[in-house]
Amino acid sequence: MAGLQYVLKRLLMMIPTFLLVMIIIFLLVRLLPGDPAIAIAGDKASDADLAAIRDRLGLNEPLLTQFWLFLTNTLQGDLGQSIMMRTSVLEVILQRLPTTLFLAIFAVSLSLLIAGPLAFVAALNRGRWPDTLIRSVFQVGLSMPVFYIGLLLLTFLAAQLRLFPVGGRGEGFFGQLHYLFLPSMTVALYTSAIIMRNLRAALIEVLDAEYVQFARAKGLPVRLILGRHVLRNAMISTVTLLGLSIGNLMSGTLVTETVFAVPGLGRLMLEAIFARDYPLIQGLTLTFAVLVSVVFLLTDLFQSMLDPRMRLT
Amino acid sequence: MTRTGMIAALAFTTALGAPALAQERGGTLNFARYDGSRLIDPIYADRNPDIWMVGSLFDTLLRTSEDGNTIVGGLAESFAGADDGLTVTLNMQADLKFSDGSSLDGEDILFSLDRARNPDLGPWAGMLGNVENVTAEGNTVTLSLSQPDPTILAMLTTFNTAIVNKAVFDSAAGATDAERSANIFAAGGAGVGSGPFFLCGFEQGASMDFCANQHYWETGDDGKALPYVDGVHFKIIPDDATRVLKLQAGEVDAVEFVPFSRVAELDADPKINMNLFPSTRIIYSPINARETRADGSDNPLKDVRVRQAINYATNKEALIGLVLQGAGKPMTAPLMSSATRLATNMDLYPYDLDKAKALIAEAGFEPGTTITLTTLAGSSDDATIFAALQQMWAGIGINLVVEQVDGATRGAKNRSGEFDIHTYGWVDDVNDPSQVTGWLGYTPVRHAVGTGWESAKFNELFEASGSEMDQEKRAAQYAEMQAIYAEAAPLLFMYETPFAVAISKAIEGYVQTPLGANIFSRATISR
Repeated sequence: MAGLQYVLKRLLMMIPTFLLVMIIIFLLVRLLPGDPAIAIAGDKASDADLAAIRDRLGLNEPLLTQFWLFLTNTLQGDLGQSIMMRTSVLEVILQRLPTTLFLAIFAVSLSLLIAGPLAFVAALNRGRWPDTLIRSVFQVGLSMPVFYIGLLLLTFLAAQLRLFPVGGRGEGFFGQLHYLFLPSMTVALYTSAIIMRNLRAALIEVLDAEYVQFARAKGLPVRLILGRHVLRNAMISTVTLLGLSIGNLMSGTLVTETVFAVPGLGRLMLEAIFARDYPLIQGLTLTFAVLVSVVFLLTDLFQSMLDPRMRLT
Repeated sequence: MTRTGMIAALAFTTALGAPALAQERGGTLNFARYDGSRLIDPIYADRNPDIWMVGSLFDTLLRTSEDGNTIVGGLAESFAGADDGLTVTLNMQADLKFSDGSSLDGEDILFSLDRARNPDLGPWAGMLGNVENVTAEGNTVTLSLSQPDPTILAMLTTFNTAIVNKAVFDSAAGATDAERSANIFAAGGAGVGSGPFFLCGFEQGASMDFCANQHYWETGDDGKALPYVDGVHFKIIPDDATRVLKLQAGEVDAVEFVPFSRVAELDADPKINMNLFPSTRIIYSPINARETRADGSDNPLKDVRVRQAINYATNKEALIGLVLQGAGKPMTAPLMSSATRLATNMDLYPYDLDKAKALIAEAGFEPGTTITLTTLAGSSDDATIFAALQQMWAGIGINLVVEQVDGATRGAKNRSGEFDIHTYGWVDDVNDPSQVTGWLGYTPVRHAVGTGWESAKFNELFEASGSEMDQEKRAAQYAEMQAIYAEAAPLLFMYETPFAVAISKAIEGYVQTPLGANIFSRATISR
């Protein structure tokens, strides 16, 4: 019951957050230099054509009127019409959302699969060569820009060895697994480096804790100690970090989806910004805000499951 | 009627006269594009990714030959203009059909041309501004003009005059023409167009499919209807490196807009044909020629001698080497590419540092004065241009600094005059120099491409050329306009570039025209 109340409270708290996001993004896109009418009609359009387009889009209305329309329409589930795509913003976002979600979930899964076992190996071999080797390799991953890692993977694994396709999305679940492996791995190499470092440090701290030493002294099996006492406690900070990483990952899709020609929300955001497509930028920002808020909520819920001392208040 | 035009497309007559040859047919051509189409409708297409695809779905009454210099028949097999220049008569081919097999007749032509010249609809209506009336009787279509128009035949080859199916528009959902057009495009399928393909798949920003129009009128070398391929599948890959990798991995057959830094590498690849199609593309930089800058401060570039000096101080061959790896040529016609009809070819500001120094000293330019070059953020070409110009112009005392913006911001600055110099480019949409001349020099259009430069004589010549039917007199008017423009130097004249398209050797017959249109109708695949 307390859990349900907590979730409801958090959901209510999201309302002012979204309102703030809406105000900020509404003003920010309009502060950008550049004219959506030029983006629509092109540089060659006459001034009269541009004035007519601005009028048609309602861009000549006072800012307050425009914001009120944006707010009331959004509350009714209408994010408006995309200027560049001439279709419903919601429709475009819903069309691209599954690809980005697939990419994000795939990337997070790969990050955990890579970081988890290696963090254990490094922590259990603290100061010895496996630990040094793992940390050195991940240091390289951390210090290289995401787009560069992406291009390297594309060049060697896709273009030369032909193990994966060069960009694109793929059809169906397995098709997407195949096509989105390289972009997910590109993101995962970076994210897993951060998670591995954090988890390793947390594991070392927990391994040194008195209750673990006591469990060892009692002769409890290592698997039980690691699974029940060490991992569970070490995961608490890592889950927080993972939640933050997913937030970063959402903004990282702008680069990854462009390099790998993945038609997702990140690439759409980039196109919308260049085209000064105000309704689409606003709709996408709201979508990202919702996704990140949901991830943070899930992170908090998961943390409370790991550590009952963290009460849901 | 003395100006009887070219009769029938060359290909058409050749096909009739030649014996049927074994011709590779079938297959889907996979083509990687730098940007996706948004709406391919003749009158609403306003971006190059849309404009350049119109011809694949919609045919025009007339066409331009592949070299861009001659007007030949299209849906109209012959055409003629009256002596007084006030009438154009077109004789349509017999038995024309849309892609769903329904017949294409006079009503469709009237409907399409009425749409094209309606100023309340698309932005291109002005091109047919002199058309007063269109009538169709049997196979003959007649255009009556309000004044002689030397560009009218070229306009009938232009994408916005392509023919659409009236019946499809009449039955489409939507309250306005724009809504009906958007709904027809979204639904796809055969019927609306008369071109060699019809739209059979579309995912905004991701992919697009063209399927062969089985009812297309034009025949191939084997005497059967074009196109040779079953269809074209487009993938949208904005990133240059990824697009090229896609071709190298064999996942697509062709990639457009190959970065010039990759041309040599792809040219050396035995599986790839690296094509540099001649184009009307010019790269130039408008110079703010106003008395004062937008902030009210004195504008050193108002002095024609300073503008001439920076043109003389620019080593165009070096720029071409750095940016295009040699795959280009300096601009020699001041208002257009040298491939455009009526272009004068002159030695346009050859690199001459001494002359540049003399001019800038004569103008009293204070050494060390800062000039800002506005470039596109993220463009490696622009970054190279800036670095090179900074070095070159330091020799005449200019402290060149850079301001990086995105395309929309650059467009807004061009209109408001908030710039010193900015990078820019142009590709003709019309096979006539009037469009680019109006854009670059005629004040009422866009203040001479935003430079603020104005010449009453130039404007007068441009207006007179708009109704001059004597080709020699018109050529003389254009020569004079170009001389005025070159002397005034409202631009930094830079270079012409080809269209770089890398194509698998399995593909033959693909063409990109000097106006940029992608022509797939004669492309073949031999896997």
